[in-house]
Order: sequence, then structure tokens, then C-alpha cells
Amino acid sequence: MKRVFGVALGILTAIGGFVDIGDLVANSLVGARFGLALAWATVLGVIGICLFAEMSGRVAAVSGRATFDLVRERLGPRVGLANLAASLLVTLLTFSAEVGGIALALELASSVNYLLWVPVAGLALWLVIWRVKFSVLENVAGVLGLALVVFGVALWQLHPDWSQLVQQAVSPRNPPGEGLPTYFYYAIALFGAAMTPYEVFFFSSGGVEERWSAKDIVTSRMNVFVGFPLGGLLSLAIAACAAVVLMPRQITVDTLGQVGLPVAVALGKLGLAFAILGFVAATFGAALETGLSCGYSVAQYFGWQWGKYVRPRDAARFQLVVLVCLVVAAGTVLTTIDPITVTEYSLVFSAVALPLTYLPILVIANDPDYMGARVNGRVANLLGTVFLVIILVASLAAIPLMLATRAGQ
Amino acid sequence: MRWLAAVVVVLALAGCVGPAPTTDQYQGKAAHTAADALAQLETARLAVEHAGRLPATYLETVLVDAEEAFDSIENTFDSIEPPDDPMADRLRSDLDTLLSDGSDGIAELRIQARRSDTAAMASTAHDLGETAAGLDRFHQEHDT
Repeated sequence: MKRVFGVALGILTAIGGFVDIGDLVANSLVGARFGLALAWATVLGVIGICLFAEMSGRVAAVSGRATFDLVRERLGPRVGLANLAASLLVTLLTFSAEVGGIALALELASSVNYLLWVPVAGLALWLVIWRVKFSVLENVAGVLGLALVVFGVALWQLHPDWSQLVQQAVSPRNPPGEGLPTYFYYAIALFGAAMTPYEVFFFSSGGVEERWSAKDIVTSRMNVFVGFPLGGLLSLAIAACAAVVLMPRQITVDTLGQVGLPVAVALGKLGLAFAILGFVAATFGAALETGLSCGYSVAQYFGWQWGKYVRPRDAARFQLVVLVCLVVAAGTVLTTIDPITVTEYSLVFSAVALPLTYLPILVIANDPDYMGARVNGRVANLLGTVFLVIILVASLAAIPLMLATRAGQ
Repeated sequence: MRWLAAVVVVLALAGCVGPAPTTDQYQGKAAHTAADALAQLETARLAVEHAGRLPATYLETVLVDAEEAFDSIENTFDSIEPPDDPMADRLRSDLDTLLSDGSDGIAELRIQARRSDTAAMASTAHDLGETAAGLDRFHQEHDT
């Protein structure tokens, strides 16, 4: 019974934890501009993250070490350093976006300017990272993030033309007035939002924090193959809500308040309360994950003691890196740079850094020295290789498309 | 170091004023401005139309965000130097009128929302429908 409960909790956490500020903004923005014509990019991203998260979870369960703990050892210090530099910069940018997201969500609940909420959010994050047990912080944030299911309820209550939505999703077309470069720019942003690198850092390091062994592979797979796709459905519900309510009014999304408007239209104050709770939980949970991921990646590269399963004094350098990254992330938002803009750029730069994150996972998941008999099978390798090609194309196209479209304008 | 300072100054000035050397380019920027402004105006109107379903804090934040974004769009357009062409002057004048009406209207909505004057908000939002239609028409006519 305890095991079933653990699996169920893991799945719920994976669903609630799947959506972060990047998913909220990107899906709503794209839904309002393109309808569901880019749903395929989210689906593709969800398949990709399932594939690679399963590999990194399996690596953690079999070897007892996080994937990136092994990168330097397996691929050498230079590749490890390139991997560290790219992933740390992108994760730090995402961390800033999440801190900004918490502040924006609290502003919606209070109408107090978001900049005043940034230090409060920073302090709360630090206290939670410092004091709260790993399993508690992961599960509470993930389960509260389930409040975003309200977008699915709102979509149902909006009584949309389902056939039209399905038509948009299954036979995608670039809407009139939108250029193809813009269409593909946003496709890459959605793909990057679903496959954000920190998700696999956190998933594999989290497996080590929770002391996974080979018998936990089933739990890990259930989290990934059930939880993540259901989280992807949440993303699609957010996009569909925007397509139904915002698109006909020609509203383009550039604030978090606009993301929640369809829920208010459909469900009123109670629905909106759930949406705001979901915004806070999703961004707070993702901020914890990105903050810890910064610490994980640096500490694992340098071989320092890391993790929350040891006391802070025993992993002092890890805790210091997390704290410094938190100060940098909060400081970035306090410069008054628009957190939504930071989010949009973090998605594109995530896409650029994807190959450096996902290639090492594929290599290590194929190494019998670490994996023994649990190396990738043929299907996993075939799909992994296909996805690496897609990731490489997205990575190479991201910056030119950003310049050509002036960041999607 | 002097050349570096010169480059910084040139880039800073370039960031302040967006030149529009041809009428076509100016028209494109005007159409783009109208679309951006319409999005903010419609956000404010949608929020006010459902004001009874929104907590006051949420409504106020949405309106303040829309007002700030609208004003920024208006200021950016006003900072563009129009080409020496009567058509460009006409474009500027037409759009300025719409932007000014929109800006005033959203500010009014924000004030009425703070006073919880639901009837006045509904009336202002209704009146802003004409400005929204005007911005939409402007965008359709001039989008190249």
C-alpha cells in the first residue's frame, strides 16, 4: 500500500511539477497567437523529456549517481566544463524567471508591486532549501501545482468548439499574418519549455537524494511516462484556454495576469484563486528545482559533497552555490527587467543548450560500466538518436530565428 | 577608449529614437503599433467586462499592466521620426488620435476600478469598443 501511495504521489508531483513559468507563458502566448497550431511542438517536447528523463532516472537508480556526476568522469573535464557552463547559465536564467514568476503571481493576489515581493520570495526559497526535507519540498510544491488543473476545468466550462480545436492541433497551419520564421521560433520556444535542461538535472539528482536503487526504476518510469504526459496535457489546456478566450480578441500575452484571464471568464473568483495558487506553487516549485539544480551541477562537476540528504554544514559549498545563485537570480529580477521577457529568452537559450544536456545522458545510458545490463535498448537508442537530431536542429535554428523575428515579434 | 565611448553613445541614441527612413517602413511600424495597442486595450476591456468575476486585486493589476504597456507602445511610436511625406503625417495623426483615446480610456478604467464604480467601468469599456475597432481597422488597412 505504501508503495502504491509512493507511486501515486510521485505521479501527482510529476504532473504538478511539470508546468513552470516558461510553460505558463509560452503556452498561453502561443495559444493566443496560433491557437493549437503548435500543439505538436509541445507533444514533441513531452515525448523528448519522457525519453531522456527515463534514461537519467535509470542512471541514478542503477549507478546511485546523478547523470551529471558522471559526465566529467565519462566524457572528460573539457566536455564536462562546456556542459557545466551552458547548463548553469541557462538554469540560472530560468531560476531568475521563476523568482520573477513567484513575485508576479503574488502581485496578482495582492496588487502589491512584484518588485516588493522579490526579496520575500528569495528569503522563502532560501529558508525552504535550507530547512525543509527534500521529499517534503518536492511533493508539497508538486501537489499544490495540481491547482493548475483548473485550466482544464475552465476549458471545459468555456464550451469551446472541440472539433475546431482538434482540427487546429492535428492539421497545423500557420495563421494568416504570421510568418513561417515566427511560427518555427515559437515551436522551438515550446519545445524548449517542455525539455528545459534543469528538469533532468533535478530528476536524476533527486533520484540520488531519495536513494533510488534498481527496484525504484518502475516508480521512476511511472512518474515519467504517466506524470509528464499529464503535465503536458495541462500545458495544452493552458494554450487551448488562450486560444478560445484571448485569440478572438487579438490579445497577445505578455503578462501573467493575461494568462489567468480565461480562467476568470470561465469560472470566476474561485477558479482564479486556484489558478493563482497554481501559479505560485508551479513557480515556487520550479524555483526550488532550478536553484538546487544550479548547486547540483556545480558541486557534481567539482566533486564536492552535495545534496539535501546531508546536513547543510556537510555540503557547505553546495549550499553556498545555491545561495549565490539565489542572490543573482533575485538581483536580476530586481534590476526591473521584465520577468516575462527573461522567461521568453530563457526558453530560447534552453533550446540552444539542449544538445549539451542530452547527448551526455544518451552516452552514459549506453555505458555498461555504469549501467550493467540496464543499458539502453534498441528502441530507446533509436528514439534517443532521432531526438538528438531534432534537438540539434532546434539548437542551431534558435538564435538565427530569434534575430530574424526580433524575438517573435 | 574614446571610440568605445562613441559607440556606446551612438547605440544609446539609436535605442532612444527609432528612425523610419521610408513611408512604407513608417506605415509598417504604425500598423505594428496599432496591433500591439489593440492587444492591451482588449485585455483591459475583457477584464472589465468580467469585473464581477475577478478579485479587485487581480483586476487592478491587469489594468495597471495594460496601461503601462499601452503607454510604452504609444511613447515608442511617438519617438519615431516620421519621413517628410504628407501620407506619413496623416498616418501619425490618425494613429495618435486612437492611441490617445485608448490611453485615456484605460487610465479611466483603472481609476474607476479602484473606486469600484462598476457602472462607469462598463460604460467606459463599451465606449472604448470604438477605439478598439479603429485600431483594428488601422492595422488591417496598413499592415504590409
